[in-house]
Amino acid sequence: MGTLIIYLTYVAYAFIVAVYAFKVTKWLAMPPHIRWDLYPVIHEKHYHYGGSYYEQQEWWTKPRPKNRWRSLLYSLKDNLYMGQYYKSNPLYWLFLLPWHLGFILIITFHILCFFAATAMLGGLDIGAASGQLAGVAFYYLLLVTGGIAFVTGTFGSIGMGIIRLADRSLRKYSMPMNFFNYLFFLVVYGSGLFAWLVLDPTLDEYRAYWLGLITLSPPVLHPMTLLHIILFDIFLIYLPFTRSTHYITRILAYFFIRWDDEPNQPGSKMEGKINTLLAQNVSWEGPHIATGKTWVEVAIEPGFPDAKKDNKG
Amino acid sequence: MNKLIHVKDFSRPGGQLTEIDPAELMPLPPPYDKMEKAPIRQLTDEQRKRMDASLDGIVAIGLTPPATPEEEKAFIEKFLAGLEKLFTVENNWTFLLPLVHTLDYCVKCQVCSDACPTYEASGHQEIYRPTMRPEILRRIISTYIKKENSLLRKFKDSDIDLNWQTLARLAELAYRCTLCRRCAQVCLLGCDNALISREIRKIFSQQMGIAPKEIHEKGSVQQLKVGSSTGMTPAALRNVLEFAEEEIEEKTGRKIKIPVDKKGADMLLIHNAGEFLAWPENLEAFAITLDAAGVDWTISSEITGYDSVNYGVWYDDFQFARVAIRQSQVAKNLGVRKISLGECGHAHKAGIVIADRVLTGDLNIPRESILPLLEDIVLSGKIKLDPSRNNFPVTLHDPCNMVRLMGIVKPQRRILEKICPQFREMTPQGVENYCCGGGSGFAITQSTNFPDWRSAVSGRMKLKQILDAFQDIPGAEIKKYVCAPCSNCKGQFRDMFEYYGVWKKSGILYGGLVELIVNAMVDIEKPFIQWEWH
Repeated sequence: MGTLIIYLTYVAYAFIVAVYAFKVTKWLAMPPHIRWDLYPVIHEKHYHYGGSYYEQQEWWTKPRPKNRWRSLLYSLKDNLYMGQYYKSNPLYWLFLLPWHLGFILIITFHILCFFAATAMLGGLDIGAASGQLAGVAFYYLLLVTGGIAFVTGTFGSIGMGIIRLADRSLRKYSMPMNFFNYLFFLVVYGSGLFAWLVLDPTLDEYRAYWLGLITLSPPVLHPMTLLHIILFDIFLIYLPFTRSTHYITRILAYFFIRWDDEPNQPGSKMEGKINTLLAQNVSWEGPHIATGKTWVEVAIEPGFPDAKKDNKG
Repeated sequence: MNKLIHVKDFSRPGGQLTEIDPAELMPLPPPYDKMEKAPIRQLTDEQRKRMDASLDGIVAIGLTPPATPEEEKAFIEKFLAGLEKLFTVENNWTFLLPLVHTLDYCVKCQVCSDACPTYEASGHQEIYRPTMRPEILRRIISTYIKKENSLLRKFKDSDIDLNWQTLARLAELAYRCTLCRRCAQVCLLGCDNALISREIRKIFSQQMGIAPKEIHEKGSVQQLKVGSSTGMTPAALRNVLEFAEEEIEEKTGRKIKIPVDKKGADMLLIHNAGEFLAWPENLEAFAITLDAAGVDWTISSEITGYDSVNYGVWYDDFQFARVAIRQSQVAKNLGVRKISLGECGHAHKAGIVIADRVLTGDLNIPRESILPLLEDIVLSGKIKLDPSRNNFPVTLHDPCNMVRLMGIVKPQRRILEKICPQFREMTPQGVENYCCGGGSGFAITQSTNFPDWRSAVSGRMKLKQILDAFQDIPGAEIKKYVCAPCSNCKGQFRDMFEYYGVWKKSGILYGGLVELIVNAMVDIEKPFIQWEWH
């Protein structure tokens, strides 16, 4: 059983990383699109009021500095705080924020467990009474991240289910999958919360489990902790089938759609890519479009019905 | 009852899905809180037979129902074929990424609903939610394109019955969104539900040849055919310019020759040709200002080169590209150094930003807004201005395309702060502004009762904003000015103010930015702005 859990854990992590990587790569591999920027663009100098380089005369002759760090910090802060939800629907935010914190912290907790176990292999003693500072720090860090993850995840999963049912506009656009998710995630977090509060208040078993994972020697765990670990592995496998990739793609959408204000310069790489796209044949069938011609051929035709007939002839 | 509508109701055969109830609309301040007439005209029985109005009793497209089941089947199949093309690189590289992102990642949290002025002003009409159109499209994709397993569809609640009625309602619904993209601005996941409206319009136009007449047939097609969506030919343009020159002389005593087709000029200025007919004072004010500042500019008299509008930006990639390419060709032939766009919001976004990735090689001529140049003229002291000539209350409308979608926020404000002592902002303003209600082609759509709808519903939030900006001086005895540096917005204000009697009741006039500059010029004797309703 212990060996099986070790395999399951490795499969779960490999699966989530592979599917997320596939999804993100697929997203990034999409062709360039028409510019569709939306202001404020955070890397712009005048982002605080939504200004752009178009406010200058002959903008193409001026430098266009971009503060990418500000953009990155802005999007990360948005991931953690979700201010627009607070402004728009504070009650929803009250449950949504802890729910998301649960996700972020439970993953952080497990990553920290991995590092803790690695450090233990190197001889670090982790515990409240450890003689080593790093050992004490690891102990409390794991306790804080794990504890908060279990509490906020449980609270958020219950709250999200309730608010989705109670709020008319949310209920109408909810699907059975939403409620399945809330219930499943509640079981995952709830089992972790129970194991922590009742059986393993120091979270010692998780460190042992991760140590076992690294050394490929299955540890002996309490069945409740074991249950939570199995559920968590299933949770990792299930996540890619939900819209959870939005943690990453929303940042990409900010950078590559909403804040993409890079002008197309003659002779640029972008121009080359566009020329390739313009050379592809289109199959639209509207009366003003000559099906089968290339994008650019269609675009340089006059397009009114008489002209189309002439072209076909 | 309107709030109980569900996505599945879109497939309900026959009958009208919802009705705009005047009692449910967002309240307006007095005296507009009590309308004397019903806000939206009812269609006649004859109109109802001829045009589908089964969404909300309003007609923008007015599809004719199919005569036979075979016709209905062919209609559905053609739509589905178009929908598939929307997800192919060769057919839709232009918007594939933002489209797929929105459909894949929207979690239907409804934050965008609160940001939508149409949804809010309608009294929360369920059908106008920004998430409604994507949800219908998502379900059609799940059921008829991906053909997902029925159990999975139940789990994801992604079933929908597809019939002619569903698509007719969806087509109309795509024309109840002004594409102001306020919804996209508040989305934490980077989704853009307004874009979905545009992409639905695209399927209907590019695959099925269906679009409102004013936008396609009388709009972009006419522009490419005769030169302007107004129907103005190059010969008619010459007459208009002559008339403008005469008017300039009459109003200011100045003899100004508007430069036309001047080879090698520094700047090709392209106006929205609607100005020439509806608000020639805008064209005249530009001529006076640029002449006084010594700018080397020209207007083109070539087909498409004297009308900056580009309606394709709202519904059809090819119509958009055709106009953008021709405008650039005109500039190239003239040998100008740059193209400048006059006071027209969508022409700004289309010509300067969106055309950017369609124009390649020597067609990629530098393009800019006229506003920074006007700012320079005003602030540099190149012309003498007396702000006391504009000593009346002025507020500023931010055209969505120019401001939220392009980030041109301050130049117009710095001009107004310099020349209008009683300038006041609306709330919210800048990139958070509300659409005039005439965006995405609505201002020019005159089909049956559609103008009533855009005055009563899509423009309602903007009217409230304007009235609120002047709430300390509500009466008609003090004349007030809404500065709208956009032709389409002015068209909407003209119709909406007329609809509510705003000039008579509140003394509010609308106009452009450059008119205020000329009105403040010290060496022009008579006031340029005429306080007459037009």
